[in-house]
Amino acid sequence: MNLDENLLYEVLKHADAATLGRAACVSKQWHRTAQDERLWELICTKHWANIGCGNTQLRSVVLALGGFRRLHSQYLWPLSKPQSSSSASGSSSSAWAPFPPMIGAKPPARWGKDEVHLSLSLLSIRYYEKMNFGNRGR
Amino acid sequence: MDELLAVLGYKVRSSDMADVAQKLEQLEMAMGTAQDDGISHLACDTIHYNPSDLSGWVDSMLSEFTNPPPPQSHKSAVFRDDSEYDLRAIPGVAAYPQADESDKDSCRKRMKTSAGGSSNSGGSSLLAPAAVSSPSSSSSPPPPIAAAAAPSSALIAEPTRPVVLIDSQEAGVRLVHTLLACAEAVQQDNVKLADALVKHTGLLAASQTGAMRKVATYFAEALARRIYKIYPQDCLDPSYSDTLEMHFYETCPYLKFAHFTANQAILEAFATANRVHVIDFGLKQGMQWPALMQALALRPGGPPAFRLTGIGPPQPNNTDNLQQVGWKLAHLAETIGVEFEFRGFVANSLADLEPEMLDLRPADVEAVAVNSVFELHRLLGRSAGMDKVLSTIKAMKPKIVTVVEQEANHNGPVFVDRFTEALHYYSSLFDSLEGSTASQDLVMSELYLGRQICNVVACEGGDRVERHETLTQWRARMESAGFDPVHLGSNAYKQASMLLALFAGGDGYRVEENNGALMLGWHTRPLIATSAWQLAR
Repeated sequence: MNLDENLLYEVLKHADAATLGRAACVSKQWHRTAQDERLWELICTKHWANIGCGNTQLRSVVLALGGFRRLHSQYLWPLSKPQSSSSASGSSSSAWAPFPPMIGAKPPARWGKDEVHLSLSLLSIRYYEKMNFGNRGR
Repeated sequence: MDELLAVLGYKVRSSDMADVAQKLEQLEMAMGTAQDDGISHLACDTIHYNPSDLSGWVDSMLSEFTNPPPPQSHKSAVFRDDSEYDLRAIPGVAAYPQADESDKDSCRKRMKTSAGGSSNSGGSSLLAPAAVSSPSSSSSPPPPIAAAAAPSSALIAEPTRPVVLIDSQEAGVRLVHTLLACAEAVQQDNVKLADALVKHTGLLAASQTGAMRKVATYFAEALARRIYKIYPQDCLDPSYSDTLEMHFYETCPYLKFAHFTANQAILEAFATANRVHVIDFGLKQGMQWPALMQALALRPGGPPAFRLTGIGPPQPNNTDNLQQVGWKLAHLAETIGVEFEFRGFVANSLADLEPEMLDLRPADVEAVAVNSVFELHRLLGRSAGMDKVLSTIKAMKPKIVTVVEQEANHNGPVFVDRFTEALHYYSSLFDSLEGSTASQDLVMSELYLGRQICNVVACEGGDRVERHETLTQWRARMESAGFDPVHLGSNAYKQASMLLALFAGGDGYRVEENNGALMLGWHTRPLIATSAWQLAR
């Protein structure tokens, strides 16, 4: 059954992060829709502490620095995991490599101000580091 | 289990420590007062029993005093020594070159266990023996060694006593002692002895693995440079040292911690300003500023105008590193909608800086922050350099001054003390790196630290720039120069803790609050400290 993309979008607005992630694996159309930044913006902001700035302000900064989907998967999601002892870091060569998202886990109740600020900072650092390679290298 | 003794092979419960310590002190007293020859073998030959039954061994030693054993033929304390110096003269140190490994040991290795729970099983496991006798405040040098006899690899011709051979742990202990003895010899200008010892260190280091081996190798190399007066060229290409620092940035959280905590203080100081100016005493690759700019961009009510003045060393080949970094940051600023202005200053030393160069605007128009990450200590080599810089800072009328420095005293007047401090400090640092992935990043990070080690140990005078001092010392200096401390808030603490939790490197890192300053350490050893200051009213 071919869902109209707009309808699909409306439905996915109510999904949580894990569901959205899974939805992206269903088909090309679903993949396209599930990657929509607006959906991930909802996922991020629905559950996080208000940091005081307006939505437009937030959106323009985050989109410029890599987007909400990346913000969530690389920084917000790892911060919401329970602070257990670190897993073996042998696989990743960079400290900023994302933790593999746990399918089926429940989303956090809330990301506090510190989690939000930290994630945003890390996102901006990553953007800046990637800029390095665009130039003539380090 | 007591951690420190476990490294040496002794399994002692921490609850038994007080008891063991007491017995060891009794033993020491008895050994010290006993004059007769019958127990001289106890002084020269260490006989080791079962390392997991330490208190049993001590008991048997004590009972020997009351019933001296029958004279026995044992390997006498003779060893072939090539050098014309009697290395036995060095107290308590296994510091003699051995012709062959079978002619073991007649050295009396002594280590003191501090009573009971006060032995902080903190610090690096590498330096178990040295660390044991030093109190947690690192400024006093560890009192060398007293009581217990250490494991020996000697074979005693006494059939009834079981003997255990312990090799690599003992070599580790001897390695540390040899390094310290070598530093002692260097301080006394005893070149022949120092030369012999530094070579012996190389031998011992080869038997070690991991962080211990690397640290020992760097320290031995630095000692050798000092002995033979082959000083390292300090005029290393700054872009190379920047590269090394980038790898260090990636491998471990120290620099990130520095940036995050300093930025938090700056943000809070800038809370109400419409125009802000940051003066960075060491711009390098500008890694600290993207996060600050992002935070300013998301400020409720919109970002202030942001001006950055970056200071850096002269570059070879006329490459303008400062401008390139400035350009990248400008690009980022444009992307996120922050009004940005950049100025770069090349200076050989911060003392060359004059406030007039900086185009400072009135304080009610523009709020100023001065930021120094691992830069201020370089000024301590020349007299009046530090004072000049502090008065220049005051002339900038900053709203906040953020200072991040290594938490160690590597600037004492006595070489051996500096050496010992540095050995402890870098051992902890290297230990913390061991948890990260073995990759190019790690090697480069170690090189980055190795250069610091070389500077602390081998250089003197104006060349010795790595003159680290502790937070306490910096506090005294800043306060007497007319600055008041600013407490880093709980936000900084929480973000720093979260940063460490995210960091997939290891869970030995600790964030500590110290009277408003924040310290990051490995296990119980603080390694860097961030503090913030404002002009005294």
